[in-house]
Amino acid sequence: MEFLFLLVSSGLVAGAAYGLIAMGFALVYKATGVVNFAHGELVMLTAYISFTLWTTFDLSFFPLMAITIPISMVIGLTLERIFIRPMLGEPVFSIVMVTVGLAVILRGVTIMIWGPDPFNFTANIPTGVIRIGGVPFYPAQLYLIGALAVMALAGWAFLRFTRMGVAMRAVADNETAALLVGISVSRIHAMAWMLSSALASIAGVLFAVNYRLVPDLWFQGLKSFPAVILGGMDSILGAAIGGIVIGVIESLSQGYVGQGLREIAGFIVIIIVLMVRPYGLFGSREIERV
Amino acid sequence: MRTGHFKESYGQLVALSDSRVTWSWAGFGIALLIALPLVAHNYLLTLMVAAMIAVVGAVGLNMLTGTTGLISLGQSGFLAVGAYTNAMLMMDYGWPVLLSLPAAGVVAALISLLVGVPSLRLKGLYLAITTLAFAFIVNHLILHNAWLTHGPNGIFVSGAKVLDLDIQRGRPLYYFVLAVTVLVILLALNLQRSRIGRAWMAIRDHDIAARVMGIDLVRYKLLAFMVSSFIVGIAGGLISLQIRFINIDVFALILSIEALAMIILGGLGSIAGAVLGAIFLSFLPEVIRYVFALFGDPNSTLYTSYVYEIRGIAYGIVIVLFLRFKPDGLIGLWRDARKYWSNWPLAY
Repeated sequence: MEFLFLLVSSGLVAGAAYGLIAMGFALVYKATGVVNFAHGELVMLTAYISFTLWTTFDLSFFPLMAITIPISMVIGLTLERIFIRPMLGEPVFSIVMVTVGLAVILRGVTIMIWGPDPFNFTANIPTGVIRIGGVPFYPAQLYLIGALAVMALAGWAFLRFTRMGVAMRAVADNETAALLVGISVSRIHAMAWMLSSALASIAGVLFAVNYRLVPDLWFQGLKSFPAVILGGMDSILGAAIGGIVIGVIESLSQGYVGQGLREIAGFIVIIIVLMVRPYGLFGSREIERV
Repeated sequence: MRTGHFKESYGQLVALSDSRVTWSWAGFGIALLIALPLVAHNYLLTLMVAAMIAVVGAVGLNMLTGTTGLISLGQSGFLAVGAYTNAMLMMDYGWPVLLSLPAAGVVAALISLLVGVPSLRLKGLYLAITTLAFAFIVNHLILHNAWLTHGPNGIFVSGAKVLDLDIQRGRPLYYFVLAVTVLVILLALNLQRSRIGRAWMAIRDHDIAARVMGIDLVRYKLLAFMVSSFIVGIAGGLISLQIRFINIDVFALILSIEALAMIILGGLGSIAGAVLGAIFLSFLPEVIRYVFALFGDPNSTLYTSYVYEIRGIAYGIVIVLFLRFKPDGLIGLWRDARKYWSNWPLAY
């Protein structure tokens, strides 16, 4: 029983990271209809930037995030302006391929700036073990789970109650109609990229604090795809829940089956999900069958 | 003045090429390629072999992504399947290379059905993610089934002989790969001008319309998967012959991206484009290395320590720039140039 709890708790932590990354994917997909393959690289880049800020100014977690998030939003906006905006009106395939190209560029640049060696990044979060119902957690792990809960709630409330959020849903639903009622679609797209990079920076910093700051952090982006698919590409809340589910599944399969199944359990899950419910658990049905 | 090249019969429309000029240029090109080893040094031959293998892989991927419009990010997975099948059959089961290489293609084609069948319900991005997942699963299975694949130890591939010639080095390797490449290009060209190729293009352009016109989507999508993976599997087998030692590190994700960059750079859906793109990208690292060498020694150490990153950045820039400014790719540039000169001095 103890073993099961431990597996579930470590799965929750990994899953919270997937959930945060997946929410970024879902946000951009919802507003622009594009899967941003460079999202994992955004996670990595913002984590490294935050690491540099932390080593230079020795900030504790919340002030550090208060600086990191605006910087990452500017990065998101810049990338959208330079790479994605000129592609407006091109087929989705081209735009997605641009994000794939952007991904390898960002990855290469980041590794060339910070080098291939891993770093220890603590963000001055205390390291004393906290027990919750007998299950030990590090504070950083609780920060990660807490961040997912807060961001999922905030994302849901944002899309439900704010003017900008409603506009974003309108754009997601029908771009032309949104334009006709006076919504600036390009502003919404830019907004989606900014918010998604903010989410990326939170995920990146907390992931690096919990594990390590390594140059293959970008890979977490790809590993979060199962969460996005499970939740349905266009559901923010679904992405958060999907992340948790995938994290726990990975952890359990590694614990009880082994064989490095952690690495691919999520991918096996998405192949099954796509065969049974191609629109995910919470996504809107739009796949046509011929 | 020539006003254009007009087809006057159905025969001309489906012919491989009805232009004598094209035929003679193709013959000239092949003659040049056959004569090349007589003058070229070994390093150039190695590069040429790598480029031709890339051509085989790009032509295979182009059939799936360019012609049928099914996006695949799982190219590295199929390459791995082909390379491992070839290596295992040759080294563990003692098959001759002339049997093991086609077997590599067949195994890759059969395995592609595992991705192909779920893909029947998926489109676009979902398919891209499924194929991506497939590539990871393949690498994982290879790593964790050491009894079959030697797992993390990798496989040494040696002793491939055709007519008592060691086709793993030097000129024999070059001619062997050249022959396979020409065969694959011919296969692709012939498929593309037949009913099958036209059905694939119809599916790409509009699958519902294609269905209405009587094209069996299940059959043709699966066929596209199988033929494409067959060719990619053979490319994988050729890779195992050339590099002589394979492990899963060879088949990283960057390979899939490289392959996509090739067909985008060349021009999606065009076989000539895939060939051009593959050759261009295969020689790009050499160009980059040359450029780095040109700017002095300190940068050269930068190049050697970050060779993968620099290559990745170069692929990324190529993908982004071409999609942004020249979505038709190199073949589009060529068509524009040809049109410009045949219509000169009129604008169009």
